[in-house]
Amino acid sequence: MAGEKQKARRIAVISGKGGVGKSVITANIAAALSSIGRRILIVDADLGLANLDIILGVAPPFTIQDILYKGRPLEEVLFSTNKGFDLMPAGSGLPEGTMFTQALAGNVESILASLEDRYDVILFDAGAGVGDVVLFFANLAHEILLVVTPEPTSLMDGYASIKILHQVYGRNEFLLLVNQADPDCSRRIGASIAGHLQSVISRYLDSDEHGPVRIELIGAIPEDPAVPRAVMRRQLLAESCPGAPAAFLMNQVADFLDQKFL
Amino acid sequence: MGENRPEDQKLNLSNALRILHNAGREDPRVPGESPDEQLQRIIDALCDLSIHDGLTGLVNATFFHVVLTREIERSLRTRRICGLMVLDIDHFKAVNDTHGHATGDAVIQAVAAELKSCLRSMDTAARIGGEEFAVILPECAPEDAIHAAMRIHSVLNPVTVKLEAGSLKLTTSAGLVWTSPDLFVSSIVLLSEADQEMYRAKRTGRGRLCYKHADSTMISRQERSALMTLGREDRFHGW
Repeated sequence: MAGEKQKARRIAVISGKGGVGKSVITANIAAALSSIGRRILIVDADLGLANLDIILGVAPPFTIQDILYKGRPLEEVLFSTNKGFDLMPAGSGLPEGTMFTQALAGNVESILASLEDRYDVILFDAGAGVGDVVLFFANLAHEILLVVTPEPTSLMDGYASIKILHQVYGRNEFLLLVNQADPDCSRRIGASIAGHLQSVISRYLDSDEHGPVRIELIGAIPEDPAVPRAVMRRQLLAESCPGAPAAFLMNQVADFLDQKFL
Repeated sequence: MGENRPEDQKLNLSNALRILHNAGREDPRVPGESPDEQLQRIIDALCDLSIHDGLTGLVNATFFHVVLTREIERSLRTRRICGLMVLDIDHFKAVNDTHGHATGDAVIQAVAAELKSCLRSMDTAARIGGEEFAVILPECAPEDAIHAAMRIHSVLNPVTVKLEAGSLKLTTSAGLVWTSPDLFVSSIVLLSEADQEMYRAKRTGRGRLCYKHADSTMISRQERSALMTLGREDRFHGW
């Protein structure tokens, strides 16, 4: 309806296996979406090993843990990067002796609900694995974007993530992004991985009570030396090497998300 | 502002004692001890209250998840597995309906007492629902977990509860799963897997113990080999 305020679309970027480039992708997609006028917040949802601040080359003074455990106001913790989007930083680890309890999850949910009107997209940069925090953020998201690389271990862990989110939380739709694909045939590799993963999913997961699972390939990012260079410089690809093939693909992914969900 | 005045401390102390009193706990202070020692006793008693189930004295459901998450993380570091056993008293609703809730509570207490009696020192037993219990079996090999679970299960099958007239003999169904040293499994997922095994024990006759490797349901051997065929079929991957 005209004039009605749209609430933020929540997208969780997950991976199963660590080290597949999830945080770099999240940061670059955020920059690309903000460059076309979208209001973007990244939540560093890796409460155990937060590292977005390092990738972005920023040093936020406070983290989401300061809100949760010290009662610091949200406004003081929300960090405006100089890259066109905001960041909800996380510290490395929860305070000793605390766990991600239901009460804590409820508090995080309230914080996010209070931000829904301010942004068009809230991206959750989740941690690796299928732990409680990852599952919580993935289940809170409207869209789940799974990042895999062509490595068998990555595909295996990605499949495990889909299986758990489907069987435990009834999630049926997943966006797939293949990263670090051979630059000579990245599109073909992406299509091959997506096709194969879908066929295994259809064979083993579709027969249960939760209905069919569908994955949608939204891109295959080629292995690109510009990416580690940008990370070393603590810059985004758009800053350090905007013409790099990986930068082009990440912009395409951002366009896809923009057209499909916004 | 924000100063902790002596009268506030007294007030806090009396609130703390009221919480303990309301929960049916005795005043933990020992006469003759210093105020600091007394305060520590009260804090200890409150901590104890916050993590234990009032009826059985076992760990409560909230703290159970804390311990389970910690043990799963530890199992990955030590590369030993963590077992999780879920137990449910069979036909408990009928006990409540026929003999009343007081008898139901007595049954739960009797099962909890038997459960406590057969734990290893490192195990944690919790009451996670009405008549549902869980035991965390950390730091073991799969065969140790199975052995421990079989021992617990045999002690609980049956449990006899004496009534004013006669006695009740109750069985318990149990499910056991264990983690993989290589794969991080969420406590929610592990509990759901153990629950499924316990329900399998119910479905297949009650009073039974069913078990499986949690990893085997995360990705079965067939799924694993189906995923791996990608490398064999597609030369572009260089697998």
